[in-house]
Amino acid sequence: MVLKIKHLKRDFNKSSLLIVIISLLLAIPVFAILISLFKETGEMWEHITSYFLIDYIQNSIILLLGSGIICFVIGTSSAWVVSRYKFKGRKIIEWLLFMPLAIPSYIVAYSYVGLFGYGGSFIKFINYLGFNSIDNIEMMNIYGLVWVLSFSLYPYVYASTRLIFQSYPTRLKDTASLLGASKNKYFFKIALPLASPAIIGGLFLVFMEVLNDYGAAKYYGINTFTTGIFRTWTALEDLQSSIYLSAILVVLVFVLVLIVKWLRGRRSYNLKTYNSNDQDENYRKDLKGLKKIIFLTIVFVPVLFGFLFPFLQLIIWGLQTFESIFNSELLNIGIQTLFLGLSTSIITVFLATSLIYLSKWNYLKQLNITSKLATLGYVIPGAIIGIGVIKSSHSITEYFSTYHNIKIGYIIYNSILVLIYAYVFRFIAVAFNSIESNTLKLSKSLSEASNLLGFGKIKTFFKIDFPLIKNALLTSFILVFIDVIKELPLTLILKPYNLSTLAIKAYEYAEDERVAEAALPALFLIFIIGSMISVVNYRFKLNK
Amino acid sequence: MIRICTILLSFLIIISCTNDKNINNKAEQENKKSESLTLYTHRHYDSDKMIFKKFEEQTGIKINVVKANADELIQKMELEADQSPADLLITVDAGRLVRAKNKNLLQAANSELLSKVVPQHLKDSENYWYGLTKRARVIVYSKEKVNPEELSTYEDLINEKWRNKLLIRSSNNIYNQSLMASIISNNGKDSAKLWANRIVKNFARSPKGNDRDQVKAILAGEGEIGIINTYYLGKLLNSKDSCEIAAGESVGVFFPNQNDRGTHINISGIGVAKHSLNKDNAVKFIEYLVTKEVQEVFAKANYEYPVNPEAITSDLLKSWGEFKEDQLSLTKLGELNKEAVIIFDEVKWP
Repeated sequence: MVLKIKHLKRDFNKSSLLIVIISLLLAIPVFAILISLFKETGEMWEHITSYFLIDYIQNSIILLLGSGIICFVIGTSSAWVVSRYKFKGRKIIEWLLFMPLAIPSYIVAYSYVGLFGYGGSFIKFINYLGFNSIDNIEMMNIYGLVWVLSFSLYPYVYASTRLIFQSYPTRLKDTASLLGASKNKYFFKIALPLASPAIIGGLFLVFMEVLNDYGAAKYYGINTFTTGIFRTWTALEDLQSSIYLSAILVVLVFVLVLIVKWLRGRRSYNLKTYNSNDQDENYRKDLKGLKKIIFLTIVFVPVLFGFLFPFLQLIIWGLQTFESIFNSELLNIGIQTLFLGLSTSIITVFLATSLIYLSKWNYLKQLNITSKLATLGYVIPGAIIGIGVIKSSHSITEYFSTYHNIKIGYIIYNSILVLIYAYVFRFIAVAFNSIESNTLKLSKSLSEASNLLGFGKIKTFFKIDFPLIKNALLTSFILVFIDVIKELPLTLILKPYNLSTLAIKAYEYAEDERVAEAALPALFLIFIIGSMISVVNYRFKLNK
Repeated sequence: MIRICTILLSFLIIISCTNDKNINNKAEQENKKSESLTLYTHRHYDSDKMIFKKFEEQTGIKINVVKANADELIQKMELEADQSPADLLITVDAGRLVRAKNKNLLQAANSELLSKVVPQHLKDSENYWYGLTKRARVIVYSKEKVNPEELSTYEDLINEKWRNKLLIRSSNNIYNQSLMASIISNNGKDSAKLWANRIVKNFARSPKGNDRDQVKAILAGEGEIGIINTYYLGKLLNSKDSCEIAAGESVGVFFPNQNDRGTHINISGIGVAKHSLNKDNAVKFIEYLVTKEVQEVFAKANYEYPVNPEAITSDLLKSWGEFKEDQLSLTKLGELNKEAVIIFDEVKWP
């Protein structure tokens, strides 16, 4: 016992303190929600459990399994093809494979009905070709929802896996084939398992997005755990039970995170060297014959269903409504969106990186679990976080008005700070997971060597680690940026009145059942995200 | 390239900063003079913005708008308590206003003009809130397949002849919830449950999509009759997409229960926030919203029925004809909303 305390005292350092402070600050809304587990459930709890909870959970499980499997297959296969093979238009395909992320999934859901529903654009097209018997391809069911969510979310898997695949030295493949492994065996026994932290990280994000989806599920008439939370809150007027449901969700995900961590165990995923000569353009192989056709299909199908189809429908709608919707206000909103996204993503990536490195530098490993707590915001439905955040800021204003007699509520409730805090809380997991899986590849001996040679921790980070994880930082920056400017429920409830975003503009039209009018703001959103990705891709040489 | 980007970015930053400053300065000045109103609203129609702008021009009172779902806005007001910036709350159904009143978030706004213009059954008995526009939840039928003489009441929709022919959206939708609440209030709980149970048997398909999608499904032959709000039909008929117009034209509007209590209506309404510091201006704003001119804009741009009896409705609304409306106190809709959802769950109406 005494020894333990001695160890505690020895291992406690500045990093330990910082990690606890940052995590706890970020985790305030989680605690606000988790506390409800120890309170009584609301009065409608019995009704909820006896009438719909089981059905809703079943639907959620189908959605998670379905989209998890599809995202895994599409994400890893397309990442493998673009990072291993040469073909015409590869750079464009690489970029297009990201693009489904640019369209909010509820907009994708609407545009699929616009394409394949009654009087849909695709239906009109095939009728024109002479197939008159088809007047509707039913999308509005649970399989349609799996389809829509999978094709709009697979880029999370693609993005994180591609980075890993590209970092494999050619030596790895050579060794494998020298030892007699076939190409398939190399892929399934070596390449894929080595990428598993990245794949799991990507899938985790997919799961969180699926759990958080509200708009698409509601439109397709599918009741999920999340729509259940909202039904409990708004229709059954029982906020207490709905927060209780969210808390259960948080606990389940926390358990999931721990299991993943346990499975990963002490395994090391580093590939020892990062010799840049090892990975020149020559390692990409040419494609020929049947293989070429198959591999091109692998990368083209996700682009077609995830991006081109919905994008086309949005263009059709955008052209129909251009005159009435396009004005200078829309441009102004676009600029506001851009800056909100940029500033929030920089803060988020910075905090995520600090959390990861602080837990590396901290020797009290028990404390690192708090950093995981901070990343739970991603799973809680945005509107519930909104309540958590308002509750927390409420206690601050209360404090000021009781002890200092200053009423800052009018300022706080209308300020952008609360919104940015909420974004950071909600999206830090996105940055955290993709950076963490990349730092796992870095060998510990690198920084240890640097330390031995006299560099401090901070200097080692900037000189050694930073250049090596730069790509991961940029990728996570983009992912957060995209998430922030697509975000809906939090923005709606927390934004100050003189601010608006493109996502909100699109939502207002869609909510009013004017989906065609929502297309232009959505297209603008796609444009911003698209140019952001290409700037980062080409300027910062993300590919290499 | 990096340089160009940096220049462009810094340029944009400057623009956005100056913009913000302008807005902030203006807002600050006006806040001091208390010449602004903060509006929490669930309505997000472009026509509303024009209406607010005109008010700003006429009175110099600036309108700050926070748009979100009524449930979230109510929650926000509750947590913000006495430091809430909200002056007014607008919702798109009466139930939410009743809820806001019960949570002690609104205050009575007495005005001679308002009590004269807004009919008794469309406002709160203690003047905590007023209706701005009416929406009727009607039956639409396929002109090709259904003879309107076969239609009569909401209650008659459980008839076997409509087996697998009825289209309606999910029970998550507030308009379905308030229709159900009106049936509970008029017919009693047991009979309402029986009704819901048999309505579910008549579904042409599992409820999905929005009101517009129900009309499209009628044109496509998936069902023959549907229950929708009138103004969505107005929007379909004025769509830019020829298929949507065709769908709108393929159906007729039938106002049910004309021989008894009348067709179920709901309102979009407004109330003054309890902690508003600008009550006088807030009441002035409500009075402006029920003037004949503004009411006609609601009718023309958004196909809603005006609450001001003097306002002339649009040609489209006239073409559907006059109808008798259910005079049930709208407060009941709010009170019975939860009851309605419980019944939906019990009969498994998704």
